[in-house]
Amino acid sequence: MDTKIVFIKDTNTKLDTTRDFYAHFLNLLRENALEDKVQVVRIADIGIYDQGLVVKFPDENIIYANVQDKDLKDIIAQTIKEGKVIKELLFKAQPKQLRIVLRNCGEIDPENIDEYIAQDGYQALAKVVSDYKPEQVIEELKKSGLRGRGGAGFPTWLKWKLTRETPEAQKYVICNADEGDPGAYMDRGVLEGDPHSVIEGLILAGYAIGASKGYFYVRAEYPLAVERVEKALKQAYDYGFLGKNILGSNFSFDIDIRLGAGAFVCGEETALIASIEGRRGTPRPRPPYPSVKGLWDKPTAINNVETLANIGPIILKGGSWYASIGTEKSKGTKVFALTGKVKNSGLVEVPMGITLREIVFDIGGGMLSDKGIKAIQTGGPSGGVIPKEYLDTPVDYENLQKLGSIMGSGGMIVMDEDDCMVDIAKFYLGFCVDESCGKCVPCRIGGYQMLSLLNKITESQGKIEDLDKLKRIALAMQKASLCALGQTAANPVVSTIKYFEEEYRDHIVNKKCRSHKCKHLLNYNVIQDKCKRCRVCVINCPVNAISGDKEAGFFVDPKTCIRCGKCFEVCKFNAIAKE
Amino acid sequence: MAKLMKNDLDRIKQAHQDTGKDWIKVGMSTCGIAAGADKVYDLFVEEVKKRKLDIQIKKCGCQGMCYSEPLVEVRVKGLPEVIYGRVDKEGVMKILDKHVCANTLVKDSIYELRTKR
Repeated sequence: MDTKIVFIKDTNTKLDTTRDFYAHFLNLLRENALEDKVQVVRIADIGIYDQGLVVKFPDENIIYANVQDKDLKDIIAQTIKEGKVIKELLFKAQPKQLRIVLRNCGEIDPENIDEYIAQDGYQALAKVVSDYKPEQVIEELKKSGLRGRGGAGFPTWLKWKLTRETPEAQKYVICNADEGDPGAYMDRGVLEGDPHSVIEGLILAGYAIGASKGYFYVRAEYPLAVERVEKALKQAYDYGFLGKNILGSNFSFDIDIRLGAGAFVCGEETALIASIEGRRGTPRPRPPYPSVKGLWDKPTAINNVETLANIGPIILKGGSWYASIGTEKSKGTKVFALTGKVKNSGLVEVPMGITLREIVFDIGGGMLSDKGIKAIQTGGPSGGVIPKEYLDTPVDYENLQKLGSIMGSGGMIVMDEDDCMVDIAKFYLGFCVDESCGKCVPCRIGGYQMLSLLNKITESQGKIEDLDKLKRIALAMQKASLCALGQTAANPVVSTIKYFEEEYRDHIVNKKCRSHKCKHLLNYNVIQDKCKRCRVCVINCPVNAISGDKEAGFFVDPKTCIRCGKCFEVCKFNAIAKE
Repeated sequence: MAKLMKNDLDRIKQAHQDTGKDWIKVGMSTCGIAAGADKVYDLFVEEVKKRKLDIQIKKCGCQGMCYSEPLVEVRVKGLPEVIYGRVDKEGVMKILDKHVCANTLVKDSIYELRTKR
């Protein structure tokens, strides 16, 4: 008889008793003389959280949760010996993730085109060039309800239709892989794990629009992604998926790579076009939109990496299949880069309509520390923060917008009580101020002025009227900036003021930062009762701000102290207070 | 090489059908490589050659669980497909000694179980 495999894991976040349970399990097996027939395996993560002890039989796919020590006898007697299922203990795990874009990531060798073909790769292309008219491709996309995954959520079919209908002989398609949001790396994951899916999407886009030339605009900071896309393009040319008469049809298509030179604004479509044309990457007023006048003044469709990776499966499985996933207005799935103070950070792909709570607690495994969740930041520097009260909101384009944030490209940063919201707003705004191209005044001056107001607030110089000033400048930036960078740069500030005005007031009126982040509002002190007079803080202080002796105790001089936090770190007795 | 036609696609697909052979897959995206996946991959190749094992070492992209890179997925006949996380030099040896050679799963380092699709 083969050995039976049992996985065990204590899913309580606070106290992990897996080892005790393991010992107990082995003892019981020995009593039943089963120790050679059953292989008990402690595993590091079972994909279920906060459900007590979990026992899983992988062969039968039986999962028991909240197992008590006393239940073990039943499990051994019934499930292991007789193969019966104990209904009371059964845990029905709903798979939360659904992988369409990431379908091949981590499955296939990204540098081997044959492996992609083995997973039905380029089948959609073969189907389209032999059986579909370009209009039919657009029709299928309309049925699917796919919206642009770059952040704004413009319907992809409409973008393609408008580009197709503009009367011009030469048209272009561009894949926008200039992913620049801090904390977001979905596109990198796809390009490195499955570059052919994006290439296939781009060829299909070219076919639907009537373009003969496509560009990959990849940021130069992703050398591995660039290398893999280059390899993949070469393989696609060798196999005849690119070049003249693709798969024996009349359709010809070429793709070139352009490297982004490191400016965040080049992710904006008109700046991206300028950058490809060899000009300085600055946006221009729209209209005319790129679908009418884009690259070299020809109609151009620009799609995000993730949007393009969706096209193949939609063509193969049909638009109505895709439309069956998600919410009424937002169809399909979305890839998020889950980061911040969450246990399992990484790439997750979930159907639209899942709640933020499910993403953070069921997929992400909950918080990293025992500090409670405070907010979730979505959409990077163009987005906003969503406080914990709205964790049960289903995720889609409209809902996130209503909350003052945006879907964005898919960065999702989890924050706990240690994160100061003023500091967060300052960080994102600072990013946008650095990255502003300077072409239009509201963004160039407005961003700078808002940032100096925020600096004032965090340096204890804030006045209560600064809040109104911030709001007014933000409104001006939103209304008058030339491109989305400036229009959205104020979003992190606006949304933090909206939900955490109390915290701003605390900084301004009480000169206190409740998360102890803003160092100008902090004071370090020695707690005399806890201090063991070991002098470690005195030795480590870089500016000699701590003085005193063993009899009188030690004191921090606030005038000399630079709030570096070194004393707090080195004290073994928690005798330094931060307030 | 000759350009492909539509039925060539099916031919390639057939040729790459799963043969049920044992393999080890190492996640080699930026996140994995940053955590040391390239060293893990090289060590697997070297050790498998040294021990003359009949198992294929493959590369793949990011599996999504960036918190536990480097990730190594192992398929050996008779055992469930599992993904080991935070694999280091020692982990490579354990996987080869126990999982591949002795049909025993390595404890405390499995991060995900693949349910068959």
